[in-house]
Amino acid sequence: MLYVIFYFQVHQPYRLRHLNVLDIGKGLDYFDEHLNSQIMRKVTEKCYLPTNKILLDLIKKYEGRFKVAFSLTGTAIEQMKAYSPEALDSFKELVDTGNVELLGETYYHSLSFLFDTNDFLDQVAMHRDLMKSEFGYYPETFRNTELIYQDSLSDLIYEIEGFHTILTEGVDRILQWRSPLYAYKNYAKTINLLLKYYQLADDIAFRFSDRDWPEYPLTVDKFVNWIDHLTLSEKENRNLFLNLFMDYETFGEHQWAETGIFDFMQHFPEEILKRPHLGFANPKEAYKLANYQQEALSFPEPVSWADVERDLSAWLSNDMQRNAIETLYNLINLIRQKGDEKLMEVAHKLSTSDHFYYMCTKYFQDGDVHKYFSPYDSPDQAYIYYMNALADLEERLQ
Amino acid sequence: MKVLMFTWEFPPLIAGGLGMACYGMVRSLLGLGIKVDLVLPTKELVYFPLREPDDVDKLPAVFLDPQKHTEYISHKFLNIEERLDYIGVTVRPETYLQMGELEQFVKAIKKESQRELISQEEREIWEELTAHLMGEEDLFKKVQEFTLRAERFARELDFDLIHAHDWLTYPAGMLARSISGKPLVVHIHATEYDRAGGPGNPRVHRIERAGMMYADRVIAVSQYTAQRVMSHYRIDTAKISIVHNAFSLSDEYHRTKKRIFKGPTILFLGRITLQKGPDYFLEMASKVHKVHPEAHFIMAGTGDMARELLYKSAAKKLGNKFLFTGFLNRKQVEDILRASDIFVLPSVSEPFGISPLEAMAFGVTAIISKQSGVSEVVNHAFKIDYWDVDLMAETVNHLIENPELCQKIGLEGMEEVNKIHWNDSAEKIRQIYSSTLSEYLKSNP
Repeated sequence: MLYVIFYFQVHQPYRLRHLNVLDIGKGLDYFDEHLNSQIMRKVTEKCYLPTNKILLDLIKKYEGRFKVAFSLTGTAIEQMKAYSPEALDSFKELVDTGNVELLGETYYHSLSFLFDTNDFLDQVAMHRDLMKSEFGYYPETFRNTELIYQDSLSDLIYEIEGFHTILTEGVDRILQWRSPLYAYKNYAKTINLLLKYYQLADDIAFRFSDRDWPEYPLTVDKFVNWIDHLTLSEKENRNLFLNLFMDYETFGEHQWAETGIFDFMQHFPEEILKRPHLGFANPKEAYKLANYQQEALSFPEPVSWADVERDLSAWLSNDMQRNAIETLYNLINLIRQKGDEKLMEVAHKLSTSDHFYYMCTKYFQDGDVHKYFSPYDSPDQAYIYYMNALADLEERLQ
Repeated sequence: MKVLMFTWEFPPLIAGGLGMACYGMVRSLLGLGIKVDLVLPTKELVYFPLREPDDVDKLPAVFLDPQKHTEYISHKFLNIEERLDYIGVTVRPETYLQMGELEQFVKAIKKESQRELISQEEREIWEELTAHLMGEEDLFKKVQEFTLRAERFARELDFDLIHAHDWLTYPAGMLARSISGKPLVVHIHATEYDRAGGPGNPRVHRIERAGMMYADRVIAVSQYTAQRVMSHYRIDTAKISIVHNAFSLSDEYHRTKKRIFKGPTILFLGRITLQKGPDYFLEMASKVHKVHPEAHFIMAGTGDMARELLYKSAAKKLGNKFLFTGFLNRKQVEDILRASDIFVLPSVSEPFGISPLEAMAFGVTAIISKQSGVSEVVNHAFKIDYWDVDLMAETVNHLIENPELCQKIGLEGMEEVNKIHWNDSAEKIRQIYSSTLSEYLKSNP
């Protein structure tokens, strides 16, 4: 059997307003409420509501045979509550079907795992509480921000009660000759690992509407045939897992409705379920379905799902990014010592990885993607506004 | 007395200190009863007949084309900005985009250089000017256009003397002198050596030299600049006069402190360009930061090195203690001065440097480069070689550690600069005008 595992990331950062040095000390809100609400409304209309509706109908139609997983960040849920509560309601409706898995992550979609273990654990706990209070759900699968993973993460997650599986990127330099279709274990064999099958996932997420792509247009038939072919490599009847992980905004936002992305999603399950050796599963089920000894994989260096490098360079490759993030975690440490919860909330909103992504200066292939997602004119501007916010925050702390 | 004045900057048309210097100077000249017809790089062919001191803010304009002037007069403007927009005074001179016709330009210049009775020396000056003003680059084209227009101003306006500020307007001044036969005063606010921190663009250098050679008098903004004019441009010492700049603050200013940061605040204010030594400021900041991590450094302004400085400051891990403001308007400049304790001018070469005077007027303690003209006019400021970053850092540390001393020097500096007035500078310029005119009348009876 090959199980298609869909996991969709639902995230919206708090984008900063254009803070000037002269704004420091005036008690201004750092975040651009107008822009943030506008984007939340737009994404709700273009993606969340229509895609949720499609998924809900599919789940009902196939009576439990079609299933998906979501990871919703705290910052996305807060902004849904503030600007489009109907979006949050429609996610709740999906979760109530029982066929939707919710994943655990850091509340603020942060890079705290890399910089501050205490803060990381705090943010994971906050997110667990949020899943419980909003959805009555206890996540069993963990995904770290941007699928960032290395061995030490599995040790931390293993210590947290309830998690047994982590999702990450199927990076070639780790897998080498191995296939991302199998369920693996972490280096210590304490946690299960599921690896994104990036070729096929990115066919949907990035290449779906690319007219220069030789496979354009991507039809359901074609895609399911490719999936079918994947099963041929398995001769011992071991269960395979095709992990299609992507941003939820792929549907209707990155790939507009006009590209046919909604039709694709609507007809995809039917084609899969027509074939007896194909099906759907949720991440938390995989380790039970793995009818073989799971091989241990070691990730000595961090990997992620971003850019062609699939490392940390999207957030941490230039001096601006490093100076900004180190300054932030110094401040978070000071705020924790002081126990100021109000300032901690602001600092946490500034810990969202997007802020560092906007400062990225790798302007070749991936630069376009960075630019597409950035609300600022340039990485320099993003850095200037961010550092002004940190300067103001430190003044407020004193 | 009436002066035909050419300048590239005048508020609200400002890129650097030149505009503010012209503003203060002209205002005080008007106060002395001197009439000024001001020509700026405007889109429309206009000049500004300034008669009263207040005219520097009102900027009354006259179109050379009578029909256009009638249209302009009958046009209703809601405010001065709208009116200046009609004339085509852009906020920043770089955006001046009216391109000149090269052919026409060469014709006009040629006409002058091929007159009979022209001396060999003069002919050489014109040939040199033409050769070096050729080119398709935006700036040179703008200068050509500006120069071409000078011909009409020179023929149609009535004036006693021509005054041109910095190289961009020297060719215009020269052409006006040649056509009208009236004496020319050129004013050196900065030379190519200062801007480039070295020889710079040889073409600009030649144009500067042609202007100074052709002029009847040369005004330098400092002894420092006069030295440079003599040594690098070989201009006859007898032609050179020194008139130091002064400064003006907008009327509604408040000079009381209004802090942004609780900790010490150290300011760089100026274009972020090689001439101003922003990299020395960063080096100093990095040294001070190690001793006083509570100190904030603000780099205010824009410029071609802004991005480089941004990246370098991040690499030096100055955390959130080294901040950039981007471009600031006058009001914002005053706000940033009110928030600062120490002002540092680390210019590699600063012909004058008005900004330390402004900072001192706000009681901000100033550390200024020895390689500056402003260091000739103030005593209550620290004067340090721009390259001596260690001493600069030690001085800042000392001031941070002794806030009373810092405040005391700041107040003494404030008292000192309060005595500096544009009126005194204008009076010197008036005397230069008078002597230039009487010499001219003697030789052209």
